[in-house]
Amino acid sequence: MLQMKDVCKVFRTELVETHALNEFSLTIDEGEFVTITGPSGCGKTTFLNIAGLLETLSTGQYLLDDIDVSTLSDYQRAKLRNQKIGFIFQSFNLMPDLNLFDNIDVPLRYRGMKAAERKERIDEALESVGLFARKKHVPSQLSGGQQQRVAIARALVGNPLFLLADEPTGNLDSNTAHGVMDLLQKINDDGTTIIMVTHDQDLASQSKRNVHILDGRISSSDLTTVNENAEPRAVFA
Amino acid sequence: MEIGPILRAMIRNKLGAVLITLQIAFTMTVVINAIFIINERSNLMARPSGLDEANTFYLSSVGYGDEFNGVVTVRDDLERLRQTPGVVDATVTNAIPVSGSGSNTGVRLVDDEAAATSFAAYYRVDEHAIETMDLDLVAGRNFAAEDVQWRAGSEAITTRELIISQQLANNLFPDREPNGVLGETMFINGSEAHQIIGVVEQLQGPWPSNSSVELSMLQPNSSVGSSATYLIRTEPGQRDRLMAEVEEMLVASNSNRIIRDLMSLEQTREGSYRIDSAMSTILWAIIITLIFITSMGIVGMAVFGINRRRKQIGTRRALGATRLEILRHFMVENLMVSTIGVTLGAILTIAFSIVLTSSFNMPTMAWYYTPLGMIALILIGQVAVLGPSSGAARTEPAIATRSI
Amino acid sequence: MLFYYLRLSALSYKRNPILSSLMVLAVAIGISAYMVIYTLNYVMGGNPIPQKSEQLFHVQLDIGNPNQSFDPPRQLTYLDSMALMRDGRASRQTMSSKFVGIIEPENPELRPFRSVGRGASADFFAMFDVPFLYGSSWNEDADTNLQQVVVLSRELNERLYGGGDSTGEILNMEGNTFQVLGVIDEWNPVPKYYDVNNGPFDTGEEIYLPWNLIPSLELSRAGNTSCHKPVVGVGWQAFLNSECVWIQYWVELETPEAEADYANFINNYGAEQKQLGRFEKPLNNNILDVEEWLIEQEVLPDETKILSALAAMLLAVCLLNTIGLLLSKFLSKSPEIGVRQALGAHKGSLFIQHVIEAGFIGLIGGLFGAVLAGFGLEGVKVLLGEDLMQTDWIQLDLNLIAITMLMAIMSTIVAGLYPIWRACNVNPAIHLKTQ
Repeated sequence: MLQMKDVCKVFRTELVETHALNEFSLTIDEGEFVTITGPSGCGKTTFLNIAGLLETLSTGQYLLDDIDVSTLSDYQRAKLRNQKIGFIFQSFNLMPDLNLFDNIDVPLRYRGMKAAERKERIDEALESVGLFARKKHVPSQLSGGQQQRVAIARALVGNPLFLLADEPTGNLDSNTAHGVMDLLQKINDDGTTIIMVTHDQDLASQSKRNVHILDGRISSSDLTTVNENAEPRAVFA
Repeated sequence: MEIGPILRAMIRNKLGAVLITLQIAFTMTVVINAIFIINERSNLMARPSGLDEANTFYLSSVGYGDEFNGVVTVRDDLERLRQTPGVVDATVTNAIPVSGSGSNTGVRLVDDEAAATSFAAYYRVDEHAIETMDLDLVAGRNFAAEDVQWRAGSEAITTRELIISQQLANNLFPDREPNGVLGETMFINGSEAHQIIGVVEQLQGPWPSNSSVELSMLQPNSSVGSSATYLIRTEPGQRDRLMAEVEEMLVASNSNRIIRDLMSLEQTREGSYRIDSAMSTILWAIIITLIFITSMGIVGMAVFGINRRRKQIGTRRALGATRLEILRHFMVENLMVSTIGVTLGAILTIAFSIVLTSSFNMPTMAWYYTPLGMIALILIGQVAVLGPSSGAARTEPAIATRSI
Repeated sequence: MLFYYLRLSALSYKRNPILSSLMVLAVAIGISAYMVIYTLNYVMGGNPIPQKSEQLFHVQLDIGNPNQSFDPPRQLTYLDSMALMRDGRASRQTMSSKFVGIIEPENPELRPFRSVGRGASADFFAMFDVPFLYGSSWNEDADTNLQQVVVLSRELNERLYGGGDSTGEILNMEGNTFQVLGVIDEWNPVPKYYDVNNGPFDTGEEIYLPWNLIPSLELSRAGNTSCHKPVVGVGWQAFLNSECVWIQYWVELETPEAEADYANFINNYGAEQKQLGRFEKPLNNNILDVEEWLIEQEVLPDETKILSALAAMLLAVCLLNTIGLLLSKFLSKSPEIGVRQALGAHKGSLFIQHVIEAGFIGLIGGLFGAVLAGFGLEGVKVLLGEDLMQTDWIQLDLNLIAITMLMAIMSTIVAGLYPIWRACNVNPAIHLKTQ
């Protein structure tokens, strides 16, 4: 479903050349729940941006649903993002002046869907995250956990191929974070692929597969087993 | 000082600086030229007509019907007007100075169509004109009562005496004192020879926008047909009362005429210079609006720039910058943008003023307008940026360590 | 999608109300100032009779003192007007000039009053498309036979006859009686092209009569008289024989051939007169159509030309301001734009969204600007005053409101092009991470 082969991403300034990703190869299959970990500056974010078609790659190949995305135009990449990818961000990134309904409406608008169908889908999505009653509220009236649930509803409303989550619990307290993780787990159980970037080893260890990035390369890619006696954290710190 | 870093920061954010620079340049061009035009107009409006305008008014009497006798009416009216308490004097005239309506004629020193000709306004009046108009006779004498010809209908003019304005005397005899032109002959209305018997210091013609407005003369004759215009001077403070009383008195005295165009000279002047004063008001509105808009622009861009750099300001404060230094930073930044703006503005101002001079027959702008304008615009910019800058100076150093 | 984007624009306006209102204010002020001056220019420099301005020609014959380099006078002498009328070469022609007369109303409650009138030839009304409320104008017989007939303005008819159909009434003026033939409707062309001698915004006349009555009844002439030679002798006849110009002369010529013929005709006339010892200057006769005539007469005052330039610069300053403010606004929206990109917005949709947002600001600015322009024009009207000239034309009409709105929207979008470009090129990757 997602295949990266020898992907390189180079940032150039006048003075230095930074290899954010270096011959990065990764394949993710449908239905997986993959966590991406690594220290600050290792290339997690670059991976996420490239996987989410927010940035182009310098060299290598990236097949998304068997489509080679490296040659696509801005318009085509926008369409792919809209149809195949759902984003979840650490800071939720809801539109502050749109109410919940309108926030979830945004991706459907770009899909050019009819009003009746949009409404049906949005209501369903709000229902699924338990916030239907608050659809006229604006984000600032909601708690952080609720906001993230709205963001998840927004990510799911277009039936994407996979979710890209960037530290989805980073701004949440641990209780709320658990709730959000449970929700994501449920979504994954229902069949949606999830790729989650995090620095939280606890979360990583809960996932079926963890990819650890170091200096723009994969240092380990394990199918982890849920193990209460996991390796000491110090290894990953 | 800190000009180097400020300049480098500005170059990185060039669009904001360019926008403000252009605004300042255009604003300066408009404001300075507008103020120049306003000053020109008010100079025009401030020229005295030579009359005692504050205490003078006029009205017209128009007779109708077969019983109406023009000659008798005019002489009776003048008699009655002069006897009215509060009236200093009254005269009959064919035209009112500064009113926009009157007559002029070509004036020559030799009886030859090809000779140099000036055009001068003429007032056909009686011997009371000098006193009524409150003119200063600088040479010669007033008309005598016997000089005045009362012409019924369109009888030919037989009078030969003229009193001319000093400016007309200067134009005709450039090197002579007013006394030196007395007794000279001038030809008007083609080849009518007339003699200068007096010179008055100043008497404007009826057309204030005409370049020969100061060229005028008085003729001692009056055509007394069905209509006549009386010019009346009153004691100070009596004008408004007398305007009403005189009108009533004249209406009551003769039923076969109507009294119209009752106006004070001040009203007439206001009407004649209406376009000029309207122009000045519109220009003031433009000036105020522009300064407001540009100040808002400066404030807006300053607030934007400061908000964007809020954290940087906090860091500077944390590194030891005093409030005054932060304030100075933004003031200097504005000063530099303003300086470029007014420099460009000075070029545009002068260019626009040259266009005005060449296409609209306007005088050349005095040199000091441009530097004064530059200083003024810089000061406006500094005042506008003072608020946002002192806001920036109040930034807490702690903001530097805050993550959001 | 349009309504969706409009709703987003409204929400965006609400998010930064001060910044947005500043932009609206800048656009409104700039546009309204420009529109006020534009209106003055548009009407003053406009074509007062577009339907036939190319067929109406003003006739000038260059008589004058050969020692002075004046332009041909605006008006004609009595002798020349009568000669041109007699030949009647044009499909229509009129001589006309102003007079003043005392009207003595039948109604004893009305006091006698002075009225400014116009003497004209029968063709005058048809040539200038003068609208009639009641009755009609006189015919050529009335001109030649000195019939004492008049046509009244709507205002004078209201004053004298309460606004009713007064045709057939007898009117007393200057000791003569006249029969009312018709009443014209409101007719105040701006500029007053058929007679600019007393200013192009002079008010219209109240009473019209066959021109030949002016000399025959010795009515008081009004308007402008200019003589390059003194009148020889006294009295009306002497004046009529003089070289004084005081009559406006217009002809209607339907085709370019007719125009050429007529130009030829007046030049031949000029050459004939030269042989008789008149027309001492080199031949320089003119027939100018309405628009050429108004340009030649420099009807558009210097003031409005200067103000146009100043208002254009004011508008430029306002738009520069708008560019800066829009840029600030759009840049502050970068995170939102990033999210939209992540959710599937491509550059085209972002472009449309922001064009509409800028247009929305322009629309509100335009609405507000139209109101301001309305007040501005009222202000100009007050400054100019109704007592000295026609000011009714100084007003916003639907056309001008439409132009104002369109200009406001277009200029805001143009001012927004760079900010919009920046908004479309936000790098989403930067803005999606927590700041």
